[in-house]
Amino acid sequence: MSRTNIVVILLVAVLMGALFSVFTTNSESVVFARAFSEPGMEFKVSGTLDREHPVLYDPEVAVAETRFHMRDKDGDVREVVLTKAKPTGLEQSESIDLYGRVVDGQFIAGEMLMKCPSKYNEQSHSLGEATAAN
Amino acid sequence: MDITYIGEWTWAASLGRLLIALAFAAGLASTIGYTAAVRQDADRRWLAMGRWGFRVHAAGIFGAMALLYLLIFCHRYEFQYIWKHLNDAMPFGFMLSSFWGGQEGGFLLWMGWILVLALVFLRRNPGRLEAPVMAVHGGILTALSSMLLGLYFGEFQFGLDPFLLLREQPQNAGLPWTFNPDYLSLIPQFADGQGLNPLLQNYWMVIHPPTLFLGFASTLMPFAMGMAGLWTGDHSSWMRRAVPWAFFGVGILGAGILMGGAWAYEALSFGGFWAWDPVENSSLVPWLVLVAGAHLLLINRAKPGTAVTATYLMIGLSFLLVVYSTFLTKSGILGDTSVHSFVDSGILPQLLAFLLGCCALFCALLLPAGRERWVFGGIQSLLAIGIAVADPALCVMAMLALMTAAVLRGHLGHLPRTDQESPLWSREFWMFVGGMLMFASAVHITFQTSLPVLNHFLAPFSGFFQGIFESTGSPLARKLAAHDLAPGTDFDATYHAVQVPLAFLFIGITAFTQFLRYRTDSGKGLFLKLLRSLMAAIVLTGAFLLAYDFAAWEAPRVALLLACMWSVTANIDYVVQVLKGRWNHAGASIAHIGFALVIFGAVLSTAKKDIISTNRFGDLAMLNEALSNEEDLLLLEGDTIAMGPYYVCYRERRQEGIHAKFAVDYYETVPKAYLPGEVVARDGFLFQCHTAHTASPEFQDDLDDHWTFLPLPNDRQQREAIAWSAGRPGPFAFTLDPRIQLNEQMGNAPEPDTRRFWNKDLYTHIKWGRVTDPEADEEGWMDGRKHDLMRRDSLIIGKSVLALDSISAVTLSQKPAFGLLDKDLAVAAHFRLSGGGPDTNFTALYIVRDSLVIPDMVTVAERGVKLRIDGFRPAEATFETVVWENLSVRRDFIVMQAIVFPQINLLWLGCLVMTAGALMSARQSRRRKKMAAAA
Repeated sequence: MSRTNIVVILLVAVLMGALFSVFTTNSESVVFARAFSEPGMEFKVSGTLDREHPVLYDPEVAVAETRFHMRDKDGDVREVVLTKAKPTGLEQSESIDLYGRVVDGQFIAGEMLMKCPSKYNEQSHSLGEATAAN
Repeated sequence: MDITYIGEWTWAASLGRLLIALAFAAGLASTIGYTAAVRQDADRRWLAMGRWGFRVHAAGIFGAMALLYLLIFCHRYEFQYIWKHLNDAMPFGFMLSSFWGGQEGGFLLWMGWILVLALVFLRRNPGRLEAPVMAVHGGILTALSSMLLGLYFGEFQFGLDPFLLLREQPQNAGLPWTFNPDYLSLIPQFADGQGLNPLLQNYWMVIHPPTLFLGFASTLMPFAMGMAGLWTGDHSSWMRRAVPWAFFGVGILGAGILMGGAWAYEALSFGGFWAWDPVENSSLVPWLVLVAGAHLLLINRAKPGTAVTATYLMIGLSFLLVVYSTFLTKSGILGDTSVHSFVDSGILPQLLAFLLGCCALFCALLLPAGRERWVFGGIQSLLAIGIAVADPALCVMAMLALMTAAVLRGHLGHLPRTDQESPLWSREFWMFVGGMLMFASAVHITFQTSLPVLNHFLAPFSGFFQGIFESTGSPLARKLAAHDLAPGTDFDATYHAVQVPLAFLFIGITAFTQFLRYRTDSGKGLFLKLLRSLMAAIVLTGAFLLAYDFAAWEAPRVALLLACMWSVTANIDYVVQVLKGRWNHAGASIAHIGFALVIFGAVLSTAKKDIISTNRFGDLAMLNEALSNEEDLLLLEGDTIAMGPYYVCYRERRQEGIHAKFAVDYYETVPKAYLPGEVVARDGFLFQCHTAHTASPEFQDDLDDHWTFLPLPNDRQQREAIAWSAGRPGPFAFTLDPRIQLNEQMGNAPEPDTRRFWNKDLYTHIKWGRVTDPEADEEGWMDGRKHDLMRRDSLIIGKSVLALDSISAVTLSQKPAFGLLDKDLAVAAHFRLSGGGPDTNFTALYIVRDSLVIPDMVTVAERGVKLRIDGFRPAEATFETVVWENLSVRRDFIVMQAIVFPQINLLWLGCLVMTAGALMSARQSRRRKKMAAAA
């Protein structure tokens, strides 16, 4: 067996290990029900901001605490806590990904990604609507 | 009915589309001509057709680019591309970058660079390589120009037209205004465009995309040469020729990626230069593979026939991964796993066809010439149809499996292999190992980035994994069955655990491999040659370890730092020892030094970053561990408070152009002097100073000599006690202006401000700040705020401190003085407003009359405070109060984050050094090739 083959075999072993780590270390995208059934586990929950409830952020009381309600993919609405200052554009967001876990019956997210209409999206829809009246 | 629209550049839309269509047709002709000309006995006229087709294609694309710029400079907002990416407020530099603000411009830019490189190639006597290399270019360019056609076949969209008029957009079709000839002057929205996303309005955005796209384009030339090698069966001459192109790509793509990092660092407020984001990863991966491929080319130049399949694979994959990253970022398949938040542009099928077509063509050529290629191509085409009509995931997987089989068939079959085993201590062996390790690193990152794609592939096996989960209870099987994996947020677990050991190995290899010789076992005496540099590296790394205080669990990181440092010292030593200081021959060494510096700076500045803005208001951390966030600091206007090694003061907010700037002054910290009699609070206890002294950094050191513990402090002592601190604000140091960019159309975006030192950066950004005054009524009262107050509680209102000094019941004799009836029950709360002048005392009443609460509003106009007691809880002696603050006394505040990044300049220095080294290597190889040709 040549040395090159040994290198290639070792390489494949490393890759299998890396692949395994991809499947084990990454979190899972779930709905609230699952996250609440397994408290303490990190999950990603996607959904939309529930606009019927206000977004609460009062930096004079707590600098890094934003509370709002999110509707998950099953339509389940829950109050969540984001341990960050209120991100700009939260109220305008189209969808939200929260990364966090349930602690004491409360979903607490340390990371959040938002999809905003402002970023790369087609803005011309609004032009179409705005000018339709003319 | 034809409408002649007034003031609209209808001709430009027609001309632009004509140019794109012409380029597409000419590209097709060029591909056919060059393809036919590959045969040695081909008619010369095929070659002429290929060349003319290419020229016309180039003219079409360059013409379209010029036209798009003309539209940008003339602010033609009737074009949707211009309207979306430009507005009148943008200065000249950003007008340049609005060209590549969208996908259409991105494609044009990419093609422009490919054309420039191809023209350079044609001027350098390509000889027999011309026809196959240009045929591949023709095919790729034709496919790319088809992405700009903007044709619709029913619902199916073929390409994105950069010259689309707003009135022609599908969602505007049939609206009444589109039939109005004078719509441009009638509808005010057309007077100005949307403008670039504020995040993109940064000078890096002017140079980063062109550099990155040049890097992307430069992966095509080695790829095309490799295809030519497979096509013509000449597996060695293209490799010599491709070396300078590959190293040019390494330099430019590397610089482009790091420019992206610099842009993120300066303009985006995620607090760093690298976030393992899919978009960053998808440009890093082709670079890693290209570096591996370029080194395999070097091996083949020295010893033809070594690891030929691996060389083809690396060179092929570097381009295919560029296409894959284009697919990932432009197809919308990443969905919301990226902060870049890409949107499906409607050309996903086309991008997928392009990607799979490139891969399939490459793999087909790896098969022996003849029937096998046609059979392979046929099956792949059938599977491609299957994607559209049957299960896409299964069909794509079958295609990938078949491609893997083709690679193995080529490797075991006709591709040349050398029988001559490389000695263990030879240069080519370790270069090969290093290249493979880089490839492993690239594969891991690709898998991480491709999670949304992997989820699609897992879907057909969901039932299978569900079965495993039900029988074994394995959580991994359950995860796979749910096929909804999401990237983890802990980079140490997801990326660093794999990437750090790999980087340790391949950077370590760059330290010693140059000391070895090709083809010969030159390990003897190697250790002695390396000893000097290794010792130097250990000493230098040790110095950094002492300076930055590493913990035991960081051992892998420390090993990586050592490997980087050794790579730097060993490569310098190589130039001194072996090259005798001929730096102009030292491209490789310089590039290795640069790369090692980049990784050293990245690892050290990330691992030892120090968030010095700690949260001192609000005690979330006390309530719940998971809520602890100590990264943000609340700064009240005019307050000077300690932050890390500084005292900071938020001075003012001002508006400059489209920015709201928040001026934060920094002061040096000087030791504080205490005088006898002063009372301080420390961990809830009070101490009184008995001897004058200057504070030590730690309170414990002063405690015995200078302080007396006050077990039972009196009221005055409690009131006067201040928190102990070692320092006080000293001389003014500098001002930083973190900003919020105001953009009505697209939302406000924070932008950091950074103070640079030679050995660190102080990076600050606004997490929350008001850009306008808050709402208030006509008299200036803002919304009231509820507070539960007990005796001795205090809170800050405006410029005063409100304290509840005492509580008393209102006696019968006092009632008339307060205007109360005899039957009323009343509790009096005695408040004091202090700070800024003499104290103001006032009393607020909680009155219950016939079991109804009578509101008693107290207004202290001169201090801008209004207060009302809404409830009283006797058991807790707590008042439920509402407090109003007047705009006239309001103090603005911001929430800011400040991070110190140590040694981050090594990263930027390394970037320059690496790019210079790679470009020098490219030049060296070219010179060498010329000399070989002359000899």
